[in-house]
Amino acid sequence: MTGIATATRLDSEAMSKSNDTHTRFVNDALPYTDQLYAAAMRMTRNPADASDLVQETFAKAYAAFDSYTQGTNLKAWLYRIQTNTFINQYRKAKRQPFQNPLEELEDWQIGDSDSITSTHSRSAEAEAIDRMPSGIVKDSLQQLSVDRRMVVYLVDVEGFSYQETADMMETPVGTVMSRLHRGRKQLREMLAGYAAQQGMKTEEKQ
Amino acid sequence: MTTGETQGVAPASDCQRAKRELEEYIHGELCAADAGDIRRHLETCDDCNAEHTVGVTLTNALKGACKEAAPEELRDSIMNALRRAQAEHQG
Ligand SMILES: [Zn+2]
Repeated sequence: MTGIATATRLDSEAMSKSNDTHTRFVNDALPYTDQLYAAAMRMTRNPADASDLVQETFAKAYAAFDSYTQGTNLKAWLYRIQTNTFINQYRKAKRQPFQNPLEELEDWQIGDSDSITSTHSRSAEAEAIDRMPSGIVKDSLQQLSVDRRMVVYLVDVEGFSYQETADMMETPVGTVMSRLHRGRKQLREMLAGYAAQQGMKTEEKQ
Repeated sequence: MTTGETQGVAPASDCQRAKRELEEYIHGELCAADAGDIRRHLETCDDCNAEHTVGVTLTNALKGACKEAAPEELRDSIMNALRRAQAEHQG
């Protein structure tokens, strides 16, 4: 991914801004740097690529800032640029489509087997998740496939709506729901596995 | 959703519906009427309530685990790039 960031350079002539627009960008958009970096870390999974992605995002956002309508959701606008940029880089790097069409055919709406789990063990599960070290939660998220990881991040961490997330990822809402459901289910399994390994009780004992 | 339809529905199908819609409920995606149905069901059903608690706990754990501060280097290079762009425009 390195090198792509230099393709859109901030100092190109096309990006010259009036003082007002420049100040507005610095005041309004730059405060999202930490959040965009956190999202970029979840997308790229390493600090160097995450930094390149955020830099690229701000370059594009700066160039396009005139097209941003004041008063609308700036955060969503920035995330959309970053998500698009990442997906396009990902496609290029992997030389394959971002979406796996087969995934859409799976049966996410058919009930899961989790009704087998008792109410009792589920309250223990909630307790275990609550006490889970944040590094483990983050590592588990990093292990999800890129499409599930992004959807879980955008919806659960950033609080974007299903529709906003679908728009950012240019997928149908149903796909967002299915990825979210599978991603969360997988996370629960991973965290329960970790808890069991560490002897954090997911069944009542003692 | 009419009230006539939901009256007298067996608890088992209430549970099925609650489980199906729980994720949307947690993420605030349901309309007020549907969310109200789920909220009322959760008050009376331990099983679905436990499932709801796990879901909310997972969301909170993810929120808490994913905070990052951008490296100073990144901040500097963004600011420098913006200053350069602005200076070129004026110069
Ligand atoms: Zn129930």
